[in-house]
Amino acid sequence: MSDAILVEARDLRREYHMGDELVRAVRGVSLDVAKGDYVAIVGPSGCGKSTLLNLLGGIDRPTAGSVSIGGERVDRMRDADATRFRLLRIGFVFQRFYLMPALTAIENVELPMAEAKMGRHERVTRARELLAYVGLGLRYDHRPAQLSGGEQQRVAIARALANAPELLLADEPTGELDAKTGTEMIELLGQVNRDGTTIIVVTHDEDLARAARRVVHMKDGVVIDDRRQDSGV
Amino acid sequence: MLLRLAWAALTRHRSRTLLAVLGVAVSAAMLLDMVMLSSGMRASFRNMLLAKGFQLRLAPKGTLPFDTDATIPDATNVIRTLHAIPGVQTVSPVLGGQLHVSLGSRTVTATAIGIDPAVQGDYDITAGRAPASPDEFVANDTFIRDARVSLGDTVAAAAGYDPQLRAFAGRRTLRLVGRAHFLYMAGDQRAAAVPIATLQAMQGERARDRASLFMIRAATGANVDTVLASVERALPNVSAVSTETAMRQVDERLSYFRQLALILGAVSLAVGFLLVTTLVSVSVNERLGEIVVMRAIGVARGRVVAQIVLEGVGIMIVGAVVGLALGLVTARYLNSILASFPGLPAAIDFFLFEPHDAWSALGMLVVAGILAGIYPSWRGASLPIATTLRDEAIG
Amino acid sequence: MIAALLAAFAFQTIDSVPSHRAPRSVAIDARLAADAHVAIGDRIIMSSTPGGPGDTVIVTALVRRRADPSEVARAEYRVRMHLDELQSLIGYGDRVDRFAVSARSDSSTTRAIRRINDEAFGFQAYRSRDIAVETSRTFLVVTRFHRAIGVITIVASAIFLLCIMLLKVDERRRDVAALRLMGISAGTIVRSVMIEAALVAVLGSLMGVGIGWLTSLGINWHYRAVYRTPLAFSVVTPSIVALAVTLSLVLGLAAGFAAAQRLVRAPALELLSGRREDRRDLVQAR
Repeated sequence: MSDAILVEARDLRREYHMGDELVRAVRGVSLDVAKGDYVAIVGPSGCGKSTLLNLLGGIDRPTAGSVSIGGERVDRMRDADATRFRLLRIGFVFQRFYLMPALTAIENVELPMAEAKMGRHERVTRARELLAYVGLGLRYDHRPAQLSGGEQQRVAIARALANAPELLLADEPTGELDAKTGTEMIELLGQVNRDGTTIIVVTHDEDLARAARRVVHMKDGVVIDDRRQDSGV
Repeated sequence: MLLRLAWAALTRHRSRTLLAVLGVAVSAAMLLDMVMLSSGMRASFRNMLLAKGFQLRLAPKGTLPFDTDATIPDATNVIRTLHAIPGVQTVSPVLGGQLHVSLGSRTVTATAIGIDPAVQGDYDITAGRAPASPDEFVANDTFIRDARVSLGDTVAAAAGYDPQLRAFAGRRTLRLVGRAHFLYMAGDQRAAAVPIATLQAMQGERARDRASLFMIRAATGANVDTVLASVERALPNVSAVSTETAMRQVDERLSYFRQLALILGAVSLAVGFLLVTTLVSVSVNERLGEIVVMRAIGVARGRVVAQIVLEGVGIMIVGAVVGLALGLVTARYLNSILASFPGLPAAIDFFLFEPHDAWSALGMLVVAGILAGIYPSWRGASLPIATTLRDEAIG
Repeated sequence: MIAALLAAFAFQTIDSVPSHRAPRSVAIDARLAADAHVAIGDRIIMSSTPGGPGDTVIVTALVRRRADPSEVARAEYRVRMHLDELQSLIGYGDRVDRFAVSARSDSSTTRAIRRINDEAFGFQAYRSRDIAVETSRTFLVVTRFHRAIGVITIVASAIFLLCIMLLKVDERRRDVAALRLMGISAGTIVRSVMIEAALVAVLGSLMGVGIGWLTSLGINWHYRAVYRTPLAFSVVTPSIVALAVTLSLVLGLAAGFAAAQRLVRAPALELLSGRREDRRDLVQAR
């Protein structure tokens, strides 16, 4: 981990209407994440942690406040620029994996690289390496329906790392996995962090939270606690 | 990768895709048929008129060629006058009538034309030769079959029937010297051609030196409209019809079919469009999660839209190819129905296939496929990522 | 010969011509009157050859075309005049092209035809309806053509319906799966889909009948103007409506049934998850 700040969030707010009700999902959150850090955002359901992650990743726009990643104001980017930014500099891992069901594992991993105009030979080689890295070297030609939940999530992580992003954002990555598989996922994320990728993870999983170097507690849209801890991995 | 994703999406629900392709194929077949119908009649009629290179036709004043029984008097003088007009290369006189051939106890009647074999433009010899003397004639397959005659046979023929007297104006023994394909006769019509002088004589006094029609071939390089104007000035008692005028009049009479072609073609295209747009909409609705995740991981909106639109276009193209084959089959069937119009020349096709028709139909389908996919795909690709992911998680 | 007259028809409009006898009267085609700007009361000269000598006549009536399909595409003008005047004008002598005979009964007609054909020199008698059949051949061809287009349209509609029903029913497969997991029978689901399909088919066909009726009005309005005829080109009859509604109902029900069957045949969990279960696991589970 270095001292350089990769992610800078200032007074982030996010409000939206649900029917007649105004929901204040995030209410003035400020957060700095250093390069190479491993941050877990925890809190009860509905506390705004997923919303905060979406704001940090540029897939949602804040009602107020700012988000900078690597010095670039993500909240002000036009949609096309934000999309490009996510493609090259941020990786996403979702609770439900969201792999393309009609593509094989290797094709799912290739997808972001193809979008980044990487040549076919290069991207196939890198995709195989990534799948081997996440422990799926022999299952590259399987479709998601032929993979277990844990294997699908590994593919999702490989896809997230396809364009070698500086930042990996994971929303409940172990949410649909059993305990044993969840543990394997925690180890994998730890390895990814040790290899240099900054990780911000949103989770209910205490084991996953313990694996992070820093834990940010949220409640009712605000940060109530933010402390460093010795990583358990 | 775009093609790969589109292909993967289409093969995910094979039966659905297959049915959509079939639906588009039927639509494409109908569209192709209508494109062929709208241009086929014109092209076919034009080809028929220009088959022998005669660009002008003279008929009795106020009539179209062979539209009535009227004839033009003083045919010899008319021919002389026409040849004197600059730009006129060939003049072919034609007299219409009926030939009654006695074969023992039965009589076979044929539509007869009196022609000048040296310059005629009404038939092509398929066997034998053209008449070289006044008592020789050629006939089509239908006549030869019905009269049970062969080349070289002589027949007792009569013309100029007077129903009041139940008598013929003229009788001759004629020798069949050639088998011919008559360009302007219906397929099932018995037809025969004799030298014009022979038919004039056989039809009696009322046909003396008369012709039903003159066909004119303009000299190479001559302006047909100028020749037409000169003809009209020189012969005010006839109506001169150029190929273009004839085309216009045919257009008017057959405008119903062109309009039908336009309407049915438009309906086919609209239905194909609706089918593809429904398919793409349902497909997008089913894959909202995947679509927004593609956006989340950095795939540009335009590329997401392009991939989905490509699915629609793919269905249209495959459907169009299948539809092309289907369309040619149905066109043949429909053409066979319309070809049975009484008196329609066998050379006329209502459905004439030209390669550019297929390209036109394909082009229209591709454009329709693109338009059909654009709205639902743009809608899907423009959904807010975070909200949609949340809704998909709840769903 | 009348046609020849028409083909050679030429006239001049005059205001007044001194004449040693009263001009004869003619009735002319309303289209001719419109195109040549001739009105009732106008005097014209009629001759049998263009530019030739002729008779001065007064237009005393305009004749509108009958709703006769065989005349629709014919652009020629028609003139009606007294028989003897026409015979005189064209030098036809005491001749006619045909007689129209009205008989007291069908058997009278048969007897008359036989007698005329046997005894009357130079005549051939036909029943009017036999002539009509012969002259209707063109319309039989058009009818066959329309029928063929109709059949193709029906086949196409059946495919479209099936496709659309499949898509729409497929969209709701998760809802259907949830219902089945709750205990709702496959039969109930199929019936509910078919009722929906039937309602859509009936509503759609009623809309289609309305659109067809309006289109029919438009077609008649347009072609009556083009061909200047009172003929009805398109007619929507109760039997046509009944056929269209029945056919679309049958096709709609069939498409709904096929789509519903497809849905209820798949295992409910497969519909819910979107994953195709290994059939061996399903068999073992049972």
